[in-house]
Amino acid sequence: MELAPLPKSPEPLLAAWIKWTMDFWESLIHMGPSPGNRAGEMESFWDSALKMWQAFFSLLSEPETVAVLFEGIKTPSETLLRMAQAGWSGYFHLHQLWVEKEVGEWAPLETRGFENLDQDIFKICTETYEKDFRQLMNLSQAGLTRLSQECVNRAMDRFRHFQAAMAEFIYLLYLPLKKSLREMQDLGPEEIDLKDFKEFYRFWLRTLEGHYMTLFKSPEYTRTMSHTLEALEDFTLAKQELLADSLALLNIPSRWEMDELCREIYELKKQLKGLAKQVEKGPLPPDRSPGGGDGGEKG
Amino acid sequence: MERPKIPVDLIRAKLAAEAEKATQRLEKAKDIFLGSLDTEIGATPFERVYQEDRVSLKYYRPQAAPRLKTPLLLVHALFNRETLLDLQPDRSVVQALLKEGIELYLVDWGSPGHKDRYLTLDDHLNGYLDNMVEFIHQRHRVSRVNLMGVCLGGTFGVIYAALYPEKVKNLITTVSPTHFNTDKGLLHIWLKEIDADRLVNAFGNLPGNLMNIALLLMNPARLLFDKYVGFLENIDNKEFVENFIRMEKWIFDSPDIPGETLRQLIKDLYQQNLLIKGEMRVGSRRVDLQKVTMPVLNIYGQYDHLVPPEACQRLTATVGSADTEDLCLDTGHVGIYVSARFQRELVPRIAAWLAERDC
Repeated sequence: MELAPLPKSPEPLLAAWIKWTMDFWESLIHMGPSPGNRAGEMESFWDSALKMWQAFFSLLSEPETVAVLFEGIKTPSETLLRMAQAGWSGYFHLHQLWVEKEVGEWAPLETRGFENLDQDIFKICTETYEKDFRQLMNLSQAGLTRLSQECVNRAMDRFRHFQAAMAEFIYLLYLPLKKSLREMQDLGPEEIDLKDFKEFYRFWLRTLEGHYMTLFKSPEYTRTMSHTLEALEDFTLAKQELLADSLALLNIPSRWEMDELCREIYELKKQLKGLAKQVEKGPLPPDRSPGGGDGGEKG
Repeated sequence: MERPKIPVDLIRAKLAAEAEKATQRLEKAKDIFLGSLDTEIGATPFERVYQEDRVSLKYYRPQAAPRLKTPLLLVHALFNRETLLDLQPDRSVVQALLKEGIELYLVDWGSPGHKDRYLTLDDHLNGYLDNMVEFIHQRHRVSRVNLMGVCLGGTFGVIYAALYPEKVKNLITTVSPTHFNTDKGLLHIWLKEIDADRLVNAFGNLPGNLMNIALLLMNPARLLFDKYVGFLENIDNKEFVENFIRMEKWIFDSPDIPGETLRQLIKDLYQQNLLIKGEMRVGSRRVDLQKVTMPVLNIYGQYDHLVPPEACQRLTATVGSADTEDLCLDTGHVGIYVSARFQRELVPRIAAWLAERDC
């Protein structure tokens, strides 16, 4: 059997399918018996349903409507395509940066700072994420679950940010270890007795301690530490927000609600303690109002 | 450069001997760990005589005839537990003071929870601490107490003495920072860069473990590595193992820090250094160090990496008292309290200093 050639556009297929559906329902309605009033009611119900179908499908048969419909159907695949493009562009960007670093700089090995090169990977990854992937996390959400989805996306985004900061921080902590081990390898016999392991260990420990002290006093360490802590703070807040969203479904108060409650209790208690002290001391002079203590300083 | 020749044979022979020793050590360690270990901390008997919210006051009866008329109130820092002063029976500041015939009160700040998030320095000093001092006044029918502070507890003591000079007879500070604008201590450097508002808004109370991590990171080579190497080397020594576990118990039992108190400590002290400048406010009152007119003994450690000497030294020159003394010891931050040598030397000295001023 010879197959009919496939149409290039999906519209004729849709029109054929609509016609077939309408014919099917029409024949189905007329197949059934129609004795008495009840059957007539049924028939009229089916008739009106069929008319609605016909109206709906004739609308669909119009080429403009079909074009709009297919436009809508195409949209998700375009989104996927864009997401894939973002992923690819991120990958290529990362690759490009690596190539620039590794191949582009033809400086002799001795003059290239390998420590810096290693550390640059964190910056490159973060930059790539910020440039390409983060946009996806910040896409505007719609519909009933918009708020929840935004919470999830925010928590994921903050978690990734925290992970990146933590990786950089841990790498920084590893540097003195790496440096001290390298120095121990380069030690000559005149500097240390290699046969005495304990002395060797103590020497290494002192070297390591020295490198750590230098690192800890450096502005770079303080900056990385603050950055990591801030990333942890952001992630903690996003996580709590996400949790609060789930807790609300179970009627359990969120951290912020508890904070508010604790503040009220704190203020009441402070006022009460102030009043109790005043009572213990005796009656108040007429010009002083009771309670309040020193008023407190809230940050 | 010619590479040194490594004596592989010697190293191999040494390793074999060490492996043999390690096996014997582990065999002995097994018996120690499976047997009963005494790792209790804060074991000196006491009576909890005062309680307000989470804060309480421990009272220790002197082991010798009372030598002083004025009881001594010990104020520990909020950052860790007061059990540091009574860590092990033979190295206990508490017991050493009791043996000197001193009636002792020790503040236990308890474990702050969510409800304590809004407590400020004002609540801790004008509230809890002042109430405890009043309680001791009434209990002993005295108008003043001797106050001794540990680390930031000493800073609390200085602030309290400036706010209530009429209630403090003598003031002793031990490794207590009062001048915060120094780049000698790592905590001083780091806390300058911390955004206190962000920190408190995110965590509420600062988790004790976060503080522990910061403290461990001050010397990772010793605190994360060498300490445990030392432990493995002495794993067959029961007494060492017991004391090691006691210390571990204390170190890793840090309470959370009330958020608003921490915010003020970081901003007013570590970032703006307001105390020594005489610009700090607690509640509605300014803390004027010139009002610290009672005798002051200021003790600190020469090798303290947490509270460097620079952070402690300026106190005696700034207070209003004419009777001041600085005592710099060749030890670190915790060494003052746990080293047997310092307890032998330091506590009798403190007792003598107090006795001279107990008239």
